[in-house]
Amino acid sequence: MNILVCIKQVPDMESRFKVAASGTWFEESDLAWRINEYDEFAIEQAVQLKTEVSGADLTVLSIGPARVKEALKKALAMGCDRAVNLVDEAAHEKDSFQIASAIAAFAKEKNFDLIFTGMQSQDRGSGQVGVLVAEMLGIPALTTAVEFAYADNSVTVRRELEGGLRAAIKASTPALVSCQLGLNTPRYPTLPNIMKAKRKEMLEIPVADLLKEEARLTTLSLAYPEKKGSAQILEGDVADLVDQVIGILKEKTAVL
Amino acid sequence: MELTREIYWNVGHSVMIPMYLLVTAAFSVLVWGLRKRLATYRLGQALERCDRRNERLSGVLRDIFLQARVLRVKGAGTAHGLFFFGFVLLTIGTTLVFVQADVLDPLFGLRFLTGNFYLFFSIVLDIAGLVAIIMLLGLAVRRYLLRPKDLPTVGDNALMLGLLLAILFTGFLLEGARMAATELGTDLSWWSPVGLFFAQPFAGLSEAAQRSIHSGLWWFHFALVLGFFCAIPFTRLRHLLLTPANIFFRDLGPTGKLTTLDLEDEEAESFGASKVSDLFWKDIFDADACTYCKRCQDRCPAWNTDKPLSPMKLINQIGEVSFSNPEANLIETITTDVLWSCTTCRACQEICPAAIEHVPKIIEMRRNLVLMEGEFPGEEVTKAMENSEVNGNPLGMAPATRADWAEELRAEGIKIADLAAGETAEILYFVGCYASFDKRNQKIAKSFIKLCSAAGVTVGILGKEEKCCGEPMRKLGNEYLYQMLAAENIEQIQASGVKRIVSACPHCFNTLSKDYVDLGLELPVEHANSFLAKLLQSGQLKLKQAPIDCTYHDSCYLGRHNDLYEAPRQLLKAAGAYLHEMEKSRQESFCCSAGGGRILAEEKIGERMNQKRAKMAAETGAPILVSSCPFCMSMFEDGIKGADLDEQLKPLDLLEVLAERIG
Repeated sequence: MNILVCIKQVPDMESRFKVAASGTWFEESDLAWRINEYDEFAIEQAVQLKTEVSGADLTVLSIGPARVKEALKKALAMGCDRAVNLVDEAAHEKDSFQIASAIAAFAKEKNFDLIFTGMQSQDRGSGQVGVLVAEMLGIPALTTAVEFAYADNSVTVRRELEGGLRAAIKASTPALVSCQLGLNTPRYPTLPNIMKAKRKEMLEIPVADLLKEEARLTTLSLAYPEKKGSAQILEGDVADLVDQVIGILKEKTAVL
Repeated sequence: MELTREIYWNVGHSVMIPMYLLVTAAFSVLVWGLRKRLATYRLGQALERCDRRNERLSGVLRDIFLQARVLRVKGAGTAHGLFFFGFVLLTIGTTLVFVQADVLDPLFGLRFLTGNFYLFFSIVLDIAGLVAIIMLLGLAVRRYLLRPKDLPTVGDNALMLGLLLAILFTGFLLEGARMAATELGTDLSWWSPVGLFFAQPFAGLSEAAQRSIHSGLWWFHFALVLGFFCAIPFTRLRHLLLTPANIFFRDLGPTGKLTTLDLEDEEAESFGASKVSDLFWKDIFDADACTYCKRCQDRCPAWNTDKPLSPMKLINQIGEVSFSNPEANLIETITTDVLWSCTTCRACQEICPAAIEHVPKIIEMRRNLVLMEGEFPGEEVTKAMENSEVNGNPLGMAPATRADWAEELRAEGIKIADLAAGETAEILYFVGCYASFDKRNQKIAKSFIKLCSAAGVTVGILGKEEKCCGEPMRKLGNEYLYQMLAAENIEQIQASGVKRIVSACPHCFNTLSKDYVDLGLELPVEHANSFLAKLLQSGQLKLKQAPIDCTYHDSCYLGRHNDLYEAPRQLLKAAGAYLHEMEKSRQESFCCSAGGGRILAEEKIGERMNQKRAKMAAETGAPILVSSCPFCMSMFEDGIKGADLDEQLKPLDLLEVLAERIG
């Protein structure tokens, strides 16, 4: 069985973001980088599947500049067999269609039985890449998985719907699964696996070798939203507070 | 009348041959029994513990022959000490008898147990025997009638007490029988007052009866002594030999310094300890030297807040596995809840009369859990580890904001050099994560800067280039992450060209001063307390006295780990504080719960340790709880609220108290 897991390196969301001079993305200085949270669920699921199915081979792929190798190393330490870095200094300028095209071009001849991706990225959050890759490869996409099972060339995925419902869907391989929070708890790499990861293959392919598509979307601007209406903290005696709350509710809402 | 007694009276010199044959046999059993244990010690890894012999031997003299460690605990410790001194005097007495009767007299006709020396010898031994008996009876009453809570009593204890009492009593009866026949009514008898007492029952008997009773008692007493020797290797009596040996083999420091793992070792198949053979030989020997006195358990903050960890039980479980089933998985036997409960506060090691090293064993097993299994005490800890990898701090805060606290001071015109940006200063203040990011603890950092500024010391920081020192990760077993963080810090520190480091966090201080040495940092590192105490002494720092009623909590990593008890108290005194000491202070201080990386973990089992400590502080009646540690501060902020004490108790850092009193 041939498995591919696609991951993205994103800034830690606690970082102090500054809009870059271009006005279309954030500055990269002073950021701490990590694996996109949903992609960690994807890696974990892929590694679990690899240990279940004998003879499975697991490739992890990431598009971006040299720093993404850190993310790839962690994926290798978690149990992936080889890493592929589609080297791209300007990955953040590519739209989802281009990213998906590059991945699809890489995956086309490789006959992956299963492709795992995160549901979306924490930084851009378009949620398109996984679905587009599946479409470009002509395989089914099972999105936002919170449970996963594989047996006899078919995958069963449970998806969380609004209102607490869960849907179970099934598809034959090859297929693509995008992973949602709750699917699993990503493992903490053990030291022997970290050491082994250092000796695993790390392939570098210039993204231009694979990507021939033009962007279909253009980012016009990136900015913090304007501050509107803030919280109001009331203090004083309970009786006073009740009067104040009633006053505010009457003034600003229609509930009374 | 000659002032002496006839040795081998009644039994005659003819007993010498059977006596020595039997003694040789008993010693053979003793040696055989101990040698058998040697094979088990050898299961452990090699470790040098025979260097610096003079220092090791003087420790044995102090802690065994003067009973220094034993006597630290009043009551049972005093009784053991007095019994020991009595027992040693009796042993010396017996040796003198042997030297005269079996060596000097037969070979040279030389006798020294005569005259005034004999009188002295006689009365000293009588009193020594009496003291030994009284202490044994006292210890028996304690163990079997008073029954201290959780004191592990097994058959061995009855055997030891019974055997020793029987030896002492038969000794006195023997003396009594001899005196009834030879000394009663003479002045000499007054020099054996206890013997004289024991002679009374035999006084009315015929000499023949006295002689036959004496002869029977002699052999019985002798048999008991042989039994005593034979029992040493097979009962808890083995502590007689192994505890002194363990004092000799003790860790000579630096206090609490852990072994640094070679993580690049290509041949290492496993890291940390999951089996006996992963431990050092000394770890197995420790278990054999344990006297089950439960002093460690009595002081363990985890045990005292209903957690499953007892340092004593843990040591004994290692011993049981080593001797009965050395292939067994230690971690499964001990259980992970026990291992994760430790705060590495060192209360157990500090008090152990046998110099057993509890904490490093726990860390070795944690290392195995983390490095080999990727296991932590909870998901919150895994998250903190990942945060530290990504952000360089376990709180998950943006590294770029690490030095934001300094901006306010800089705005006030106080200069804080950015050493990572090429500026220079006399000292590097290693801030640590909690004082950098935690709002409450930032006040500690600001206070330290103000104090240095008032004393005219220029201070620099590494700013956003500073990383967590790695202490909580290391104590939780994550040696890999610790070494990664340490390497990055060391690189920054060395590049800054700074010559001295000061930290106001005992955890950073301990790590930088002891642990970083193995990774190449060799600069002097001080804690803010001792640094400021020196500035105060030299007159560079001036403080105004303003009265404050307070109690002081000795942080584990300042006190027990670094012996810094006086500096904070000197500073408090200079600040005009009136100190209400808690019952558990200094060496006996009770951990706040944050040590051993527990600051990153939820406390899910038992009573909250920080609340227990807050209650102890409140009992002093002092309205202020002063500590010298950002971890303690965080714990007390929570603990005081949790224990509903916020009306009566407020936590302050010593540096905050001082900063309010800059003269």
